[in-house]
Order: sequence, then C-alpha cells, then structure tokens
Amino acid sequence: MTGHEREETNTGVPHWKSPVAMSVALHLLIVVVAVAGWSWSDPDHEAPPRSISARLIAPEPAPSPVVDKVDQPDRDAERREEQKRQAEEKRKEEARKAEAEKARVEKERKAKEEERQRQEALARKQQEEKARAEEAARQKAEAEAKAQAQRKAEEEARRVEAERQKAEEERRRQEAEAERKRQEEEARKAAEQKRLDAERRLREQQLEALAEEARRAEAAAAQEKAQAAAARARETQMLSESEKYQALIRERLSQAWYPPSSATEDMTARLQITLLPTGELAGVKLVGSSGNTAFDNSALSAVRSLSRYPIPDERDTFERYFRQFTIEFNPRRLR
Amino acid sequence: MMFSAKTKAFALLLTVGLFAGCSSTGETVEDGTYGSDVAAIDQDGGSTVYGGDDQGGISSSSLTEEERMAAQQQAAQEALRDITTFYFDFDTAEIKQDARDVLVAHAQFLAANPGQTVRLEGHADERGTKEYNLALGERRANAVQRFLIVNGASRGQIETVSYGEEKPAVMGSTESAMAQNRRVELVFE
Amino acid sequence: MGFFRLLVATALLILASASANAELLIRITEGADSALPIAVVPFAENGQIPPGDKVSTIVQSDLNMSGEFRTLPPSKMLSLPSKREEVFFRDWKMLGQRYVLVGDLSRSADKVTARYELFDVNREERILGERAAAPATNMRSLAHHISDKVYEAITGVQGAFSTKLAYVTLDSFNGKPRYRLQVSDVDGKRARIRLESEEPILSPAWSPDGRQLAYVSFETGKPVIFLHELSSGKRTKIADFPGLNSAPAWSDDGRSLLMTLSKDGNAEIYRMDLQSRQVTKVTNHWAIDTEASWDHTGKGLFFTSDRSGGPQIYHMDRPGAEPRRITFGSRYNARPRPDNEGKYVYYVHQREGAFHIARTNLNTGEETVLTRTQSDESPSVSPNGRMLIYATKQGNDSVLTVISADGGAAYSLPASEGGVREPAWGPLVK
Repeated sequence: MTGHEREETNTGVPHWKSPVAMSVALHLLIVVVAVAGWSWSDPDHEAPPRSISARLIAPEPAPSPVVDKVDQPDRDAERREEQKRQAEEKRKEEARKAEAEKARVEKERKAKEEERQRQEALARKQQEEKARAEEAARQKAEAEAKAQAQRKAEEEARRVEAERQKAEEERRRQEAEAERKRQEEEARKAAEQKRLDAERRLREQQLEALAEEARRAEAAAAQEKAQAAAARARETQMLSESEKYQALIRERLSQAWYPPSSATEDMTARLQITLLPTGELAGVKLVGSSGNTAFDNSALSAVRSLSRYPIPDERDTFERYFRQFTIEFNPRRLR
Repeated sequence: MMFSAKTKAFALLLTVGLFAGCSSTGETVEDGTYGSDVAAIDQDGGSTVYGGDDQGGISSSSLTEEERMAAQQQAAQEALRDITTFYFDFDTAEIKQDARDVLVAHAQFLAANPGQTVRLEGHADERGTKEYNLALGERRANAVQRFLIVNGASRGQIETVSYGEEKPAVMGSTESAMAQNRRVELVFE
Repeated sequence: MGFFRLLVATALLILASASANAELLIRITEGADSALPIAVVPFAENGQIPPGDKVSTIVQSDLNMSGEFRTLPPSKMLSLPSKREEVFFRDWKMLGQRYVLVGDLSRSADKVTARYELFDVNREERILGERAAAPATNMRSLAHHISDKVYEAITGVQGAFSTKLAYVTLDSFNGKPRYRLQVSDVDGKRARIRLESEEPILSPAWSPDGRQLAYVSFETGKPVIFLHELSSGKRTKIADFPGLNSAPAWSDDGRSLLMTLSKDGNAEIYRMDLQSRQVTKVTNHWAIDTEASWDHTGKGLFFTSDRSGGPQIYHMDRPGAEPRRITFGSRYNARPRPDNEGKYVYYVHQREGAFHIARTNLNTGEETVLTRTQSDESPSVSPNGRMLIYATKQGNDSVLTVISADGGAAYSLPASEGGVREPAWGPLVK
C-alpha cells in the first residue's frame, strides 16, 4: 500500500513542479525583483525638494472627457483640432514632467530614510556585540571562582566523611556486641517462654476439650430441640391438612345421614372407620351403640353410603389421621 | 238472614212514616180499634152519624189523644222489636250502643208479656277454633240475656243457645260476611 | 445440661404418646334435611289378586304421607325384583336409594298372603322380612300393615298407617245442610258414614280402645255430647246440661271424659266419670275455659282460656291445680293437642290475621309455626306423634291435610264430597 502510494507520488507530479524547482524559480524571481528595486532606489537619482513638487501639482488641469475622439471630417475643424491637440500635447508633456519630478523627489526621500535606518541598525549591532563580550568575560570569571570554591568544599567534605565513617564503624561494632548480648538474652527468654507456653497450651487443651465437649452437648441439645420444633411444625401442618378433610367428611356424612324419627339428642352412635388410601371404605365397626337399633343403622348406612371418602393426597397425613378414625353420630338439634 | 233483617228494618221505617203521616187524621186510623163499637152502631147511618156526634166527639177527642199516644208508642216499640239481630266485634261479647234501645224494647215487651218466651242464639265468625267459638257464641247470648233481664224480662222467659261458627248468616270469608256472622239472634216462640 | 436433656426427652415422649392416643374423631351433629329415599318395588302377584289399588302403591302413598320418606316412582326403577337374589344393590345405590322393599302376593282361597323383605342398600343387609295374610277383601289393611312394619324397621317408631280417622263432612242435601260423621283409613280411603244430621256435628273424639267416639251433636237444637259405639252404632246422650255441652276428651283409661259445660253460667272444664255420670269442675274462672286435652302423663291437662284477655294455651299439672300459661307468641292460641311424649303441644295460632298450626317445645318454650296455609283448624296428632292432621280452607271448601310433626311435607287427603272438617286421629290398635 505504502509502496503504491510512493509510486503514485513519483508518477503523479511532473519534475518541473517539484519543490526544489519551484524553490529555485522563486529565488530567481526574488533576486530579479530585488535588483530592479535596487536600481529604482538608486541613491544617484536625487529626489526634488518637496516644496517644488507641491507648487507644480496645483495648476494641473482636469483630464478632458473627449480625449478619445480621433476622426474629424472638417478641415477647419481639423486645424482647430490640431491646434487644440498640440496645446493639449504640450500641457500633457508638462504634466508628465511634473509627475516625473515628483516621483524622483519621493525616491530620493525614501533612499535617505533607508540609509538612516541602516546606520541606526549597525550602531545597535555594535553595541550589542560589546555587551555580549563583557558578559562573557564576567561569566568566565565567575565560573573560575566557583570552581575554586567547590574544590575546597569537596576536600573538606571528604575529610569529614572519613571521620564520620570511622565513628560509624566504632558505633557498629558496639551495636553488634549489644545485639549479640541481647540475642543471647532473648534466646534464654524464649526458651523460658516456650516452656511456659507448653504448660499453658496443655492447660488450654484440657480446657478446650472440656469446652468442646460442652459445645457438642449444647449442639446436640439444640439439634434435638430443632428436630422437635420441626416435628411440631409438621404435626401442625398435618393437623391443619387433616382438619380440612375432617370438615369435608363431616359435611358429606351430614348430608348422607337420615336420623330416624326415634332419634333423641342424647343418642350417640360411635363407629370406627378404616379407609384404604384410595378413600374407599375398608371396614366399619360399631364401637358404641346408641341403644336404638334404628339410630345405629342410620349411622352405619350413612357411613356406607359414601363411595369414596375425601382424604388428603399426602400419604403421611392419611396414615396419621385417616387410615383409621372414629365417627360419632349425635344429633345436636333435631327438626 | 241479613236480607230479612234489612227487610224488617225497611218495614219498620215504612210503619213509622205511616204513623207520622196519618197523625193529623188520627181519628180515621183510630176507628179500627176504638170505633169498633161505633162502627157497629153506624152500620146503617154510615160515617156521618159517627162524625155528627159532637159530645161524643169532644169526650172521645181527649180519649183519642191518649189512646193515640199510647198506640203510637206501642207501634214504635213494635217496630223496634222487628230488629232481632245484634252484632259484635271480633272475640268480644259487648253489646253495642245502638242495640240498646232495641233490646230495651224487647225487654219491655217480654215484661209486658210474661207468657212470651225467647231463644237467644249466639254465633261467631269462622275465625278461630270451633269449640272456643261455641263458648264465644254463648258468651254473646248470655250478654244479651243479662241485658234483657236487667231491663225487665224474667229469666224464665229466656233460653240461650250457641251455634258457634256453625250457622253463618252469610257465607264467605270477607270482612263484611264475618261481621254479619258475629251476632246474637232473638227468636220468639 | 442433663436436666435440660431430660426435659426435652420428656416433652418429646409426651408429644409422641399424645399423638399416638389421639385417634381422629369426627362428630356428626346434623342430618339431611330431605326425606329418606326408598324404593317400593311393585309386588309380584301369584294367583287371583283382587282388583283395586296395588298393595305397593298403598305402601308408597303411606310412606310419602309421613313426610319422612320419598319413594322412587316405579318407572325409574332399573329392575323389579321380588326377592333377595334379584336385588342388585349397586343399581339401587346408583339410583340414590337407601332402602328397597320387595315382595310378592299369593292368593289361597279367601286369603291373600304377602311375603316381603326390606333391604338397607348401603349395608346390603335385610332389615325386615315377613309373611302377612289378610282376607282378600281387606287388601288395604294388609298394605297399611306393611307400611307400619317398614316405617318401624327404619325409624324405630311404630307406624300409624293402620289407624283410623274420624271427621265431619258438610254438604247440602235437598236445600238443607247435611252433616255427616265419618270414619276412614288414615289415607281417607274406605270412609264410612256413622251419623248424618241436618244440625252441626262437632269435636269427634276417639276412645283409647278405638271402639267409641264421643262428639257434640246439635240434633236436639243445642250442643249435646253423645257416645257412639262404632261396631253397633249404639248412641248414648252423655251430657245434656243447660248451656254448652262440648269439647269431649277421653282419659287414657277410657273411663272418664273431660268436657266443657256452661251449666253454671260460664264455660268451664269438667271431668265426667262415665260410669256414674258425675261431673267435677276442673277449672273455675269467669273466663272461657274449654278445649281440654290430657297430657302424655294422663294426669295433667292442656286447655284454652281467655283469662288473659284473648284465648291462650294453659297447662294444669292435675285437675284443679294452678294453671300455667304456655303460649305467648300472639294474641290468639287455642285448641291444644299434646304429643305422646311430652315434648310438644300443637295448637291453632293466629299470626298476621291468618290462622296456622303451631307447636311449642315444652322444654324450651320455643314456638314454631308449622303450616303455610291460612285458615287452619283442628290439629290432631297421630298416635305415634310423628304426623299431624288438620283442616284448612281450599277456596270455600274445607280439606284435610297431613304433615309430619315437624312441619315437613304436606299431604292433602283426597276430598270427599263437600267440605271436610274436625279430623280426629284414632289410636293405635293392637
């Protein structure tokens, strides 16, 4: 890609348009202009004084609007025209001369001004040169003095450093001695501590063992408690579930029971019911007679009339409550 | 029954009106009673003979006035006595105010005619129980009996019987029918 | 710690043992509101069975009349079994039936014998099986007998379908009123006229043995009490005192009558010894006291008195005792008829201008209006206490209606010619 770009550059721009060529041409052009300019502003051409120029400008007539009319068919008119043209020519020539004079004066004034500026720049340049030289001399002297001082300071520093190092070595030696002594002492102390620690640890281990035992006991108790609570919760849940089905069974049996005319409110028939997990009646046993056969029969008939008992889906609840239960028939309020 | 009671009431009004209308010509009317003898006398002479007797006319005139008053009263009483049914409110045996004059007339008639007997038949409307209504009919008859005795009749002249709700005067269960069935009827024998 | 553990263990043990002991108990305190469904299958017939209503039809009608049963129309039966082997319990259960009665009739000479069995559909058990015979002319008695047995087997209460009714009909003959005292079966069939009069006949009352009726007749122009022996038709004028002689009521032993007399000027209740014809005053009050009836003990009595201003029901523990007012529910309560158990007293009760039959529970004082008809009179309780007959208006005519004693289903007896009134339910006859 890059290569391709380069190729394009080489082929896309003609040689004469290359920056180098352009630059050369531009410089040539500048040199030409400068040379011409220099000849125009030649100091030899004295510019007329400014006052003359002013005097000349005042009578200059306004240019005629009919200058361009050339063809005159009339001879007299042509003559008159010729005279007029000659006068005009003369006036124009004078005007041209005045103009040239004016331009010369101006040129001279400009040249003088440029010379003055050149002189001033030169003087300024020389002054600056001198200041620079003085500054350099001053700086050199300063640098030499500084170097001298530094040398002296360095020597002094080296001497002080040597002394300091010597003192330092002495201090280190003393410190090492103290350290050795301290370490010896520490070792002794550590040994003592280790012994104490061992004793303490033993004591602690014994205590920990006791604590652990206590904790385990407590955890076991808590677990037992939690299990009991869970059992109770389950119990409650099963009970509420069972109550729902008890109510359903009660409703179905109430609809199916026709208490006989001989029933009284103090009659109670007690039946033990055994159900299959399908809700079908597996067996019924009269466990408590009302003392009235018709009443007992009405209860038995009611219990047997349900083709399927409403029982909970959950097997635990079924087993717990509905596998076998008792139904008591006791009219609370007879019609 | 009701119809007959109304008929009787109408007859009563007619009779009273007749008496009132004829009071000015009372003598003529009086003939029938007082003048039976005279009439016999006048058998040939006609009414003029009877009319021409001045003295007899004067004396008989005052007599006729007394007689006329008595007869008038008697007729009014008789007319009152045409009313023989007395009505009661539900479950009561209280004799109504407007029945009193009539019952007084009956009592006076009975007092004046000791040989006359009367049977008081008590009735009730169909509401309530038959046996209680039987007793209620009797209570009504007894109330009328006491009233008659107080006003001059003697116990021996009066017999009471209750038919309860068994013999309604008017069939039906309307309020007006039942009002006409709560009654005591006087039956003279 | 150990103590805590012990505590937990004990608690768990208690819980466990408690749940082990608490076997579920479900208590049923209310029964069905509806009548008991029973299928009375038409009996099979062997031999010449007399024409007329079928035995099974009469049994159905009896059971329905009680208000306690609802019989299955034979058209809905899936089969018509006449013996156990033909009974498919599942079919009857499917039809919602609780009991099924099957049987057959066979003729031998002048007798018809019924063999019948009653099954409990749910228990699939026979609860009754019997053979009963009756003269071929008495098929209705045979049917009522079966009804009684079925009723008793299921309800434990003696049936009252073989009892009799006495009542009075009123119509018009030759432009005159015609009162007729009649006696019929409980279903109104087999009615026989016992007395005919142009004057009112009131208050028939059965003697305890069912052989005699006491009643009030106006045939002499006033209310007089007669005794009437049904078998012979022999009549005795038993009370003809001045004033009222009315509202006879037999004592349990049949030896005395309570009656209302006004011989002393005011309607009071008396007791007459039938042997000596001596009367003793039971009530003594200026008010009307009437409509007496012995209570179930045979010692106390109920009666109507307006001593409070209007008729109300009162009870006396024994004749002459201080009466106790029973009814307070409205300003008109009259003609008490107690049941045979001392539980309820039935009477005519006015409410909002209409007359109904109501009952008061004698233990609680609670009053229940039993009828929805408007002009109800003369309640009479069946001897088993389970049914009630009363007279009511149908248009301008009076008809008899049977209801169950708790106000259940009403059953109108077929109207005889003219109005029917003053029903009296006869006793159970052994």
